[in-house]
Amino acid sequence: MQIVYRVIIAFILLLTIRCAYREKDFWKQATAALVVIPLVLRLLLIK
Amino acid sequence: MDSHRVSGNAATATLLFALSLLVCWLAARDFMKMWRDDVLVPLPEYRRIMLSDYLPKLAGTPVDTPVFIQDSGRPGAAVMVLGGTHPNEPSSFLSAVVLLENARVEAGRLIVVPFAMHAGFRHNFPQEASPSFLHFTLPDGSERVFRYGSRDMQHILMWPGPDIYKHKPSGQELSGNENKNLNRSYPGDPNGTLAEQLGFAIMELIRRENVDLAFDLHEASPEYPVIDAIVAHERSMELAAAVAMELKGMDIEIRLEPSPKNLRGLSHREWGDGTDTLPILMETANPSQGRLRGRTDEALALTGKDKAYAKARDMGNLFIPYSNGDQPVALRVARHLTAIRLFLEMLGLFHEGKDIVVEGIPHYEDMIAKGVGYYLKPLPID
Repeated sequence: MQIVYRVIIAFILLLTIRCAYREKDFWKQATAALVVIPLVLRLLLIK
Repeated sequence: MDSHRVSGNAATATLLFALSLLVCWLAARDFMKMWRDDVLVPLPEYRRIMLSDYLPKLAGTPVDTPVFIQDSGRPGAAVMVLGGTHPNEPSSFLSAVVLLENARVEAGRLIVVPFAMHAGFRHNFPQEASPSFLHFTLPDGSERVFRYGSRDMQHILMWPGPDIYKHKPSGQELSGNENKNLNRSYPGDPNGTLAEQLGFAIMELIRRENVDLAFDLHEASPEYPVIDAIVAHERSMELAAAVAMELKGMDIEIRLEPSPKNLRGLSHREWGDGTDTLPILMETANPSQGRLRGRTDEALALTGKDKAYAKARDMGNLFIPYSNGDQPVALRVARHLTAIRLFLEMLGLFHEGKDIVVEGIPHYEDMIAKGVGYYLKPLPID
């Protein structure tokens, strides 16, 4: 089941990154940058 | 209205994500420090095997854990001491480690599993602010370090978690997070979840090694009623009652609780129902895992000193005396080891031919006076 978990995380991570690059507001980009931290750690199964 | 708006573009997004990756690297470095196993210095008399020897499919998984067996070569009882069922209960695994590094078996066999929930030592429980490591200074000035882990297995190892955990085989329903709790998994299932496989492997160890007496060491919050206590299966009760009386005779307050027949999945119930062993679960008081605690750090885990608990004591809300306003880890380890020593001394009195002689278990007053570090061995020099 870990692969399903990682696919879901990777999908949300990509959406977040895509959203940030399309965003014109710096602070909303900063929010996205914060959101990706736990997603990256989860994708790598670190935490 | 948009006066505070700062424009963003691809360059700012790239810069921000670079900062995110830096934070990820720093955090990962910190989290991954807990992946390194604590180093043990067992007496040479112990033989080291792995729990996966009793359930081969556990080999290579994060729940596989070392099992140490000391066989005196002389007839006698087989006794197992399980530490670290809950890795956020330090006196549990520290008592097992002290036995591993000090206890010499003169008759019978001693089996020590210091880190039963191996996968729980690899992380802290989220939002508990627990310390990651406990440090002990040895008489030679060197230092030993042990991890302070989480009560449960890492969630990712058993994803997705259920809303309600149904215990096998009883069907008893508990909250979903209990499916990652070793002490709700017994008797286990070789084809079940990772926690159920772990529970099954420990039951197999007890069965195949013909363990006569088995301890599961724990700690609990000072406001929890089953504290400074022995919990005994009905077959262990007579022996446990004798030990409790002896402890009281030594001015060591102890509660004696019968294992509830309808509370399933716990060691004191399932080990007794599913094997021939005499199961004993013991609890000491650990303020660093309690709900009333204040600042949570290594000092709290080691000393148990907390002004919020002192206030709770004054209000009559604790189930331990807490008279000095502390609960040092040496006291908690001393309680476990003294009770174990008494159980070993009395086992043969209640069960003919089941004598076991173990030397080198630190005495109560000595452990309290000298501390846990005194009984830990220096790490070998590479």
